[in-house]
Amino acid sequence: MTIRIALLLAALESTAPVLSQTPPLKGQLNIPQFAALADKASESVNVTLDSKLLSLGCRFLNAEDPEQADAKKLCTSLSGIYVRSYTFDKDFAYPKADIEGVRRQLSAPGWNRIVEAKSNKEGTNVDVFVLIDNDKAAGLGIIASEPRQFTIVNIVGNIDLEQLHSLEGKFSIPNLGIETGPKTPEAPKKKPQP
Amino acid sequence: MSENFENELRRALRPIDAPDGFAERVMRALPAQRDREPLPAPEALPTRRLVRRFAVPAAFAAALVVSMLLGQHVADVQRQRTEQQAGLAASRELMEALKVTSQKLDLAYQAVKTPPPPAGDEENRT
Amino acid sequence: MGLNVPQSMADSLLVRARGGDAAAFAGLVRAHQRSVYSIGWRMLRRRDAAEDLAQDVFLQLYRKLDHIESMEHCGFWLRRVAANLAIDWLRRVPYSATQPLEEGAAVAAPLRDDDPLMSRQLDRLLGELSPAARAVMLLRYQEDLDVADVGAALDMPVNTVKSHIKRSLTQLRSRMIGAKLVDCEVPT
Repeated sequence: MTIRIALLLAALESTAPVLSQTPPLKGQLNIPQFAALADKASESVNVTLDSKLLSLGCRFLNAEDPEQADAKKLCTSLSGIYVRSYTFDKDFAYPKADIEGVRRQLSAPGWNRIVEAKSNKEGTNVDVFVLIDNDKAAGLGIIASEPRQFTIVNIVGNIDLEQLHSLEGKFSIPNLGIETGPKTPEAPKKKPQP
Repeated sequence: MSENFENELRRALRPIDAPDGFAERVMRALPAQRDREPLPAPEALPTRRLVRRFAVPAAFAAALVVSMLLGQHVADVQRQRTEQQAGLAASRELMEALKVTSQKLDLAYQAVKTPPPPAGDEENRT
Repeated sequence: MGLNVPQSMADSLLVRARGGDAAAFAGLVRAHQRSVYSIGWRMLRRRDAAEDLAQDVFLQLYRKLDHIESMEHCGFWLRRVAANLAIDWLRRVPYSATQPLEEGAAVAAPLRDDDPLMSRQLDRLLGELSPAARAVMLLRYQEDLDVADVGAALDMPVNTVKSHIKRSLTQLRSRMIGAKLVDCEVPT
């Protein structure tokens, strides 16, 4: 999907290379593509948005949608978002060495681990790292792993962690409680159409 | 996943007839006057003044200019469409990325809020 | 897709509807009401809500006729709006993982001459999926859209669509095996 977007952009700028060769920005990690894992995974999210794609995507967010409006405010100060998240049907079907390679980059000067959470019982680890540059957060790194899932997130730019976290409540997650009786949905607000 | 099962699913999900009189009820609910949502105004084609210096038939020259202008317009429209496709795809990816990020941050926040286990409990530490 | 009119006639229906021909617009409604109503019914699991939703969708179409380029676009547009509107409605009302069908709903589903019990059970189990997963499954298996079109209709990356399909099929199948309505295949 990301390569397709890059090719679409290349069609707009005939002199530009298909894949950007610009050097990495401060706060940007070198994350493998994990191309072979997508077929093995039962679920995968692979996002690579450099500053050009990010700004393009930000322009096309719908300011009238509350979720997208919040995202629009957040991403105007960012320079890149990179996510690799894979879920498997078996334990530890993913390459730990590659994940450790990313973790080693987060021990470079400037990176600070602000959260380290481990559950030996569930085998869950979540580490959150922030790059501090001139007293500001200039990069975010998250490595989360469970026996059947791992996630690597790298966000580059001026980051507001509270704003990022506040988005979680906006992505509707169904209430799986048992209903006591049928309910008629209220008449909805008219959703603006593209 | 068995193809048979997917075919069974297609059979189970064949569309259902709308209730009798549905179309009539829709027509009765229409407003008396259609409040048409306007389309964006098309960009005006640039105009140029032709200067007849050479002995080129006017019709040929005009056709040449019109085809150049139309070609440029078509290219512009195509470019806009391509940009829109790329932009919408990028915005979808952006939302997905932010969703995953905020979910993982929430895991971390929950871990920070959870009180540490009593001494001797090896299960959780922050 | 479900239309039994030649393409040229179908497009002229659209042109006449845009021109204010009420009978032509009624023709558009009849051509697409089955799909739209079915999406509403299977998403919301209530006949009255499904009819309200379907009516709302066609009223939106009436306002936006000038934006519709062809009958094919019309079909896609209606499915997209119906699915997204249903997801919006379900987000505003907490839904149950085991939403019961309203009474008499089983009668609304046409009887199959192959395996009516299995078809009804599958239809019922669909209601246990999350709204987004349910919408993906309906657009894929009821409306026969390909994965890319499902993604475009729901503003969802293709990988997410594929994940929803894979997980939903697994969930549905395991429930059916549990109810002994499908055979348990030996994995190769």
